[in-house]
Amino acid sequence: MSPVSMDSNRILRRAGLLLSFFLLAVSIGIPLLLIFWQSVTPDQRLDWMAPLRTITGQSLSGVLLNSVWLGLCVVAGTTLLAMPLAWMMAKTRMGLHRWIDVILLIPFMTPPYIGSMGWILFMQKGGYLQQWLPGAGALSDSFFSFWGMVFIMSMHLFPFLYLLLRDALIRIGGNLEEAGAVHGAQAGYRFRRIIMPLLLSAYGMGVMLVFVKTIAEFGTPATFGRKIGYYVMTSEIHKYISSWPIDFGKATSLASVLLSVCLVIWYMQSAVSRRFTYRLVGGKGQRSKTYSLRGGAGWLAGLYLAALLLLSIGIPYFSIIAASLMKLRGGGLSLDNLTLDHYRELLSWGSVSLKAIGNSLGLSLAAASVAVVLGAGLALAIGRSSSRLQRIIDLLSLLPNTVPGIVMVVGLILLWNAPWMPFTLYNTYGMVVLTYVVLFLPYTVQYVKSSFSQINGLLFQAAQVSGAGPFYILRRILLPLIMPGMLAGWMMTFTISVRELVGSLLILPPSMQTSATYIFAQFEQGQVSLGMAMAVVSVGLTVLLLLGIELLNSRRKWTGS
Amino acid sequence: MKWNKPRKQGALLLVSAVMSMSLAGCGTGNSTSAGGAGTSTPEATDAAAPSPEATPAALSGKLVLYSAGPQGLADDIVNGFKAKTGLTVEMFQGTTGKILARMEAEKANPVADVVILASLPSAQALKADGLTLPYPEAANKGKLNQDWSDAEGNYFSSSASALGIVYNTKLVTNPPKTWAELADAEWKDAVNIPDPTLSGSALDFITGYLSVNGEQGWELFKNYKANGVAMAGANQEALDPVITGAKSIVAAGVDYMAYKAKAKGEPLDIIYPEEGTVVSPRPAAILKSSTNVDNAKAFIDYLLSDEAQQLVADAYLIPGREDIEASNRTNLKDIPQLKVDWAWMSEHGNETASKFAEVYK
Repeated sequence: MSPVSMDSNRILRRAGLLLSFFLLAVSIGIPLLLIFWQSVTPDQRLDWMAPLRTITGQSLSGVLLNSVWLGLCVVAGTTLLAMPLAWMMAKTRMGLHRWIDVILLIPFMTPPYIGSMGWILFMQKGGYLQQWLPGAGALSDSFFSFWGMVFIMSMHLFPFLYLLLRDALIRIGGNLEEAGAVHGAQAGYRFRRIIMPLLLSAYGMGVMLVFVKTIAEFGTPATFGRKIGYYVMTSEIHKYISSWPIDFGKATSLASVLLSVCLVIWYMQSAVSRRFTYRLVGGKGQRSKTYSLRGGAGWLAGLYLAALLLLSIGIPYFSIIAASLMKLRGGGLSLDNLTLDHYRELLSWGSVSLKAIGNSLGLSLAAASVAVVLGAGLALAIGRSSSRLQRIIDLLSLLPNTVPGIVMVVGLILLWNAPWMPFTLYNTYGMVVLTYVVLFLPYTVQYVKSSFSQINGLLFQAAQVSGAGPFYILRRILLPLIMPGMLAGWMMTFTISVRELVGSLLILPPSMQTSATYIFAQFEQGQVSLGMAMAVVSVGLTVLLLLGIELLNSRRKWTGS
Repeated sequence: MKWNKPRKQGALLLVSAVMSMSLAGCGTGNSTSAGGAGTSTPEATDAAAPSPEATPAALSGKLVLYSAGPQGLADDIVNGFKAKTGLTVEMFQGTTGKILARMEAEKANPVADVVILASLPSAQALKADGLTLPYPEAANKGKLNQDWSDAEGNYFSSSASALGIVYNTKLVTNPPKTWAELADAEWKDAVNIPDPTLSGSALDFITGYLSVNGEQGWELFKNYKANGVAMAGANQEALDPVITGAKSIVAAGVDYMAYKAKAKGEPLDIIYPEEGTVVSPRPAAILKSSTNVDNAKAFIDYLLSDEAQQLVADAYLIPGREDIEASNRTNLKDIPQLKVDWAWMSEHGNETASKFAEVYK
């Protein structure tokens, strides 16, 4: 390689970094700064102490502790659920059933407040469970507690951790473990000394994201938490931002506390991952060791999967579908109280609801595609976060996941509707796409980063030595290796944007609805059945779409090899 | 920053032109969904061809409306207004809180022309902040209930709801007659009350009750708490468990929701307690920042017209005009009312809401 092209390479990389920084500063940094500015300028006057006073004056330590405790418990819950599943899907023949992955995304595609509603309808006094088993009253009493909330949220979030862990386990491959076995290590020892350290980086990232998602979540605290009187930071923030009197200053002060908690977690995670990241994807071929599950073990694994599917999908969707089919909500579960009218109304040609579905799908496709390109670019720019600029980009790209969605959205509105902007994006279609991209960028970045950080740099050097140009390397080595991460990021962004609610409520142009805001509006209007029918239809469509992609993808693999 | 004003307005114009084109398609769809409320009028669905004599010559362009409250009614009113004037209407539909939040976020560059809120104190606050545009010459203004609207024409309450005791008829055969009875052992753990920080009408009831009974009024709410009354989200969220039977009663439930669900066949009914209740007006106001003032004024005129007031009555709400009666619900004159003090209520709204939330946490 000649020195000239080395230089141009470096310039290219430098330009990429600066461009990434600029993009993130505009889309994430400035909106958050504007929010911060609001919190320190109550009554149009600069007052640096305002946020501090808000926090100390509101007896908030209890609420903050509630948030953190909930986050920790949900991390424990999701770990218990996801770890065995990830191992089964990575290391046994169960992994061949690719449809399980898509099915397991369903809890994640379900808007959290809909999922909680499903559980509430099932477990409450006079709910579906008691209509079958009148004696189940005691069970339902103990369900409406903090642990019930942890359970619901873990059921909602575990697929997320599972996907990260499974991908990491697959990349670890079998040869390292075999090497351990050859040297006489027992299974337990191999797990402790080989798998665990190698898994730690991915697990750390997953734990951080689950924790942050939990304490930034609004739907479940608003529906279930309020019922049991468990208040967290997001419910307080939402109170200031959506009920009279509106106080962005207070909301942003609280948001900054939440942000600091998340930053501490991020710092701990990045320290762990810097220490425990290994380059696993080298040039050598990989064989993965597949355990066969026969007899008792196979039954146990199957039972585990079935129980998981029943609890995470079966019960909530039973309630959701039942509620969507009811003629009269006060009529209870009986055959003569069932009707398909709500679906007919929902899917009638030219209806508002059908337009809402179209809007949702269109916006999410656009947002997911933009986010995946942008996110992959950013992940590559961040690389191994060796320079300070890279670390800053890393942090910036993660911020939308650590700030409650509603705060991020308010920041975006403040920026894009400011009188000094040469053009206002606010109240247009573009604004919605921008908001979704910003909100869900961290997913693609994290997924691609996690694939990229395990690629051994020797691969690129080998290519260079063999005379490959940068674009050839990109096309034939880098892209194929990060493609699974990109696809996972695309799917994640798509599924979450389809159900995105909090931001949509604030930024959709008047007279425009998405399926999520439609559902929410029906709940507000007392048309719960119609809302539930919309939830079934939009989640169903998403599942079909993802199954289609999965099918195409696996076919491509077959013909390619 | 004067220099870029024209440019910005140009861009806004372009954006709004593009949007009104794309939204024109949605407009026709709205009328079909309005039927969901069961009350669409022939005028409302026949929006395609405005009759020429009804169209005032000067009106053109669009109107941006932020509206709280029942969507079916808002859709019907918008469609009726479109049919009358031929204007394009862009509507954002949400709760009072969401509308106020959106207005706050847009403060630097306001979008809405007219807001309809579900809480009088919020409209009073908008007026106090100088955000409203007075329209004293509104048509039919004199026929409005004068207690609910601003004498200077800053806001007009075109509808109202009354708060009552809403109960599940399968579970409650002998409904309580007074507010105090809800603290009886018979109703232990069976009652919901909407959260006053989320429901403007619930706040109106609580502050209204306190404005009549003074500090002693808190006894009632403390007794409620002691009897296991649960604070449960906004109005619909408080009503829902009563429909499904998980709870038996909503205290301070919004009446039009109960009438509507009852008409659908749900096992619900409502009574207004003997000692009197609070009627919660729903004010509409033109915003000072409006760029379509003529259209906004025409909308207020329409809102107070016979036609729109009839739509209000059909949606189980109390019409804002005293000369229009509803046939499907208890009318204002038959509802026992507390002699509330609106000035005191809007002054003490915030502290009452936070004290209430503190008691119920």
